[in-house]
Amino acid sequence: MSVSDLMWVEKYRPHKIAELVDQKEIVGSIQSLLKNQSEMPHLLFSGSAGVGKTTLALCLSHEILGEHWKDSTLELNASDERGINMVRDRVKTFSRYAGLDSKIPFKIIILDEADEMTADAQTALRRIIEDTAKICRFILIANNISKIIDPIQSRCAVFKFSTIPEKDVVFHLKEISKKEKLKSDENGLAAIYEYSEGDLRHAINLLQATASLGDITEANVKTSAGLTKVKDVDIVLKLALDGKISDARNKMIELIKVYGMSESDFLKYINAAVYKTKNKNLSDIVQTIAKYDFRILSGANPEIQLSALLAELTKFGK
Amino acid sequence: MWSEKYRPQSIIDMMGNEDARASFVEWFGKWKKGTKPLLLVGPPGIGKTTLANLAAKQFGYDMISLNASDVRNKNRIEEILSPILGNASILGSPMIFVDEVDGIYGRSDYGGAEALIKILKEPTVPIILAANSDLSTKMKSIKKVVKTIHLRPLPPRLVQLFLKKILKKENAKLSPGSLIKIISESRGDLRSMINSAQAIVTGFEPATGKSFESLDVESGVNAFFKANSIDEARSVLYSLRIDPREKINAFYSSVITSSISKSELDKMLQVLSQADMLFGKIMRTQQWRLLRYLDEILIGLYQKDSSVRYSQYNLSWPLLNRLRWDGKSIKELATILAKNMHISRSTFGTLYFPYMLFCIKNKKMNLDLEENFSDIIEKEIEKLA
Repeated sequence: MSVSDLMWVEKYRPHKIAELVDQKEIVGSIQSLLKNQSEMPHLLFSGSAGVGKTTLALCLSHEILGEHWKDSTLELNASDERGINMVRDRVKTFSRYAGLDSKIPFKIIILDEADEMTADAQTALRRIIEDTAKICRFILIANNISKIIDPIQSRCAVFKFSTIPEKDVVFHLKEISKKEKLKSDENGLAAIYEYSEGDLRHAINLLQATASLGDITEANVKTSAGLTKVKDVDIVLKLALDGKISDARNKMIELIKVYGMSESDFLKYINAAVYKTKNKNLSDIVQTIAKYDFRILSGANPEIQLSALLAELTKFGK
Repeated sequence: MWSEKYRPQSIIDMMGNEDARASFVEWFGKWKKGTKPLLLVGPPGIGKTTLANLAAKQFGYDMISLNASDVRNKNRIEEILSPILGNASILGSPMIFVDEVDGIYGRSDYGGAEALIKILKEPTVPIILAANSDLSTKMKSIKKVVKTIHLRPLPPRLVQLFLKKILKKENAKLSPGSLIKIISESRGDLRSMINSAQAIVTGFEPATGKSFESLDVESGVNAFFKANSIDEARSVLYSLRIDPREKINAFYSSVITSSISKSELDKMLQVLSQADMLFGKIMRTQQWRLLRYLDEILIGLYQKDSSVRYSQYNLSWPLLNRLRWDGKSIKELATILAKNMHISRSTFGTLYFPYMLFCIKNKKMNLDLEENFSDIIEKEIEKLA
């Protein structure tokens, strides 16, 4: 069994565009674009996590490039690449030997989490896209389209993915359950949907974790749902609000430096955590988070800034 | 100024560091194209610049001096040095002296350090570098391509001898008390010693009564928090001449590990956040003139009778070790698996890894990877419980 098949998310990832869960309109227009492959524009997929953006990009690569898909697709994740120069270098090296293989119309570059790039980096990216347009097509993927600068949007055909409705998520989970021979009940599956907030990828991961305990029941789902490190960010916030600044900071540093959570993900999750606490100073807390998020974006040292954030949050506790 | 008036006229006239001076002269005498450049390391005021100046004079070179601010980006270095390195003959016989090389680092993101090292690797003229310390990890890449000579602070006996000689020539007198005070406070720094001697003889006592010129980070941070007045704290801060990044980090690790109240900690971290933001801005825009405001922001950390003391590390040892070893293993694992699963490392660590560990723990998944990951996986499974 290959490493990627370990996770059901990978094992059951569709390989054909037609198999994509939901997103019927997008699938339709993509298929009509494919009728004239060499004319295909760059693509920009936006939408929340786990609705099929990366999957569709990979399907496209399979269908256009056929057996050459692996060698002729470059997958980049802006959250992992340090700076635009890294992106430029990797794109350059990748596109250098293009055109030798006439069996494919072009190479494909999938840039995931493109909205993690600063506006400056995106401006540089624009140039990279133009320079390689003869040889490569870009598929940019972003959660939030408003964070993608207009000049890039205008160079791409934009597809906005909608969230997958509960009945479709549950239907898909049932399909997997059948293939994996799991016993599931309706309450269990509904609980998975609720915890994963419409994110099909998360739902499948949660299904798998729950299955390792036994049947897919509400109780088992509950036990597995608290496992993710998102929960730890909730704890960091609680510790800070309780004035336990040193514990909060140690946990924050562990999340970032041991488990590799990016600073921007940390800020995203702590922001979401604030809404769960029902603290009466909600808007002050969110404004404080925004202040430090901005400082980090403008080039300050994340560790110092996040520590200062946690220290400042202590004053909003009870 | 006495320190100029009594600057030695030849290398022989200099005080102390005989062995170092001998190897310096030997290096110069034997210099030919391709000889490794020389790095002089020693505290301020013991004659590094003087040594380079005198050597140029005695061996007949035209000295071209650079200091840290000239060497902070690639273009600037090339602009200054390319003509010298390229057309050596037209310009007579030039040599290059780069002062405060330890100050270049931390600004190295803009190619200055790399450009300098490139030049150091293929010297076509004699190159001398001077630094106060070569201990920082950042000096390592420079140290690899140069010959290093260490200069030590002068022993008090020599300093006293030198001071008495000057006083005699100047027909001046100092009380034995002032004499001892000047010598001990100079810590072997001849230049500052001569300056204070001249000041006292001519009737000017420096207001603080203490010289902070050659403070190391630890005594600097401690002196800052122990200072009796904000003015004293300010003068400590200004004389703590280290890389701005190191300065901010030193105060950060000291503040964060001290046992002060929540509100005090909050207030101090606000100050550090501001200072850090300013430095981030400087690095981004390369507007180094903004650096002058850094100390004025940091002065906000001062509070009379503060209990903050210097600490080099801002985390406990167990956590530091966990970052270093477990963090490294998990990153390696994440790099492999995240790619396979078409996600970022951050998503892997946050949303996938915990579920995987849970499945492995429940014996429903078998991660068939290289042996060296089994330890970290076992360890993390234990943490899950």
